[in-house]
Amino acid sequence: MYDLIIIGGGPAGAAAGVYAGRKKIKTLLITESFGGQSIVSDSIENWIGIKKITGLDLAKTLENHVRAYENVEIKIPGKAVAVKEISGGWGISTDKDGVYQSKTLLVASGGRRRRLNIPGEDKFNGKGVSYCSTCDAPVFRDKNVAVIGGGNAGLEAAIDLIPYASKIYIINHGPKLTGDPLTQEEVKKSPKVVIINNAETQKIIGDKFVSGIKYLDKSDNQIKELPLEGVFVEIGSVPNSEIVKDIVETNKAGEIIVDHQTGATSKPGIFAAGDVTDEIYKQNNISAGDGIAAALSAYNYLLNIKKQSPAFAEATAGKPSNE
Amino acid sequence: MVIIYTTPTCVYCQMAKEFFKERSIAYEEKNVSSDKEALDEMIQKSGQMGTPVIDIDGKIIIGFDEAAIKESLKL
Repeated sequence: MYDLIIIGGGPAGAAAGVYAGRKKIKTLLITESFGGQSIVSDSIENWIGIKKITGLDLAKTLENHVRAYENVEIKIPGKAVAVKEISGGWGISTDKDGVYQSKTLLVASGGRRRRLNIPGEDKFNGKGVSYCSTCDAPVFRDKNVAVIGGGNAGLEAAIDLIPYASKIYIINHGPKLTGDPLTQEEVKKSPKVVIINNAETQKIIGDKFVSGIKYLDKSDNQIKELPLEGVFVEIGSVPNSEIVKDIVETNKAGEIIVDHQTGATSKPGIFAAGDVTDEIYKQNNISAGDGIAAALSAYNYLLNIKKQSPAFAEATAGKPSNE
Repeated sequence: MVIIYTTPTCVYCQMAKEFFKERSIAYEEKNVSSDKEALDEMIQKSGQMGTPVIDIDGKIIIGFDEAAIKESLKL
């Protein structure tokens, strides 16, 4: 049985792995890949201590750091698919290699891109519908495209597309863009960009590939159609909390509710950190710090189990020891 | 014969190229962002527009699917 299983290899999971390594507790880290959501970023310029790094290089530095500790096993590519309470801890099932048991669990499974959930989105995924402008922008050279979403992610996608696409429609559901003013300015400078406000995307149409979208123009209540060949969906993210949603408390958005001092969830022995939690700021550096707090709390929880009777341990679970 | 269809900014393309380099497997890279013919070829072969697309002796793998690559190369 492991002392700690960490689910996730983004900044939260990797930082937790490093601290678990330094505490010499028997740890397993299960992740599909290192680096988290920013692995696809071309340029990260706010990872403290490094002026500029690509997502892939950040992923490598995180992985190498975790691998420096012999007591931390890494299951990669691994996907945790279910969590069950067992005697003295948790059983974590994975997609390929069965069940791993651990006294404590740290959920750092991050978030994933929110989907539109409209007709055509699945059918044309990869056939004009994209969730990664950094990856796919060059494929849309001289084509008309839409970016769905007027927040920062949408504006940044538009910026990725400006050098390639011939026309970029930003489809924004609200009355005005919500992204940072500086980014808005940069987007509005380009003659290629057309902003459509008060628009609700309803359908992606096409034959083999995308040929257009239909949207409801809320200002005149008309359904309108735009012929185009690419749709970049940038409408935020959702937490990957499904595997523990029946065990720990989550909020309306599906985020795991944690004690922000300790990373403890509502269930003693389960901790969580990073974008899967109700942390307000979804930032790499913050996720790393949260991951550390959660790992240290898991460590203290383990010390308490060792010291105390099972009944007493239950009562004090999740709180840091005073040692 | 291994062909990888890439864009310069695609991280999974980088990962795929590193996978082959680490194993000293020769590959031809076609950058679909600057080569229109390669882009059409990639879309025709894979039926989709995402990169990377990896062609291993005619077997088409979409994305950096390590398990599928290993199977195709019998690694």
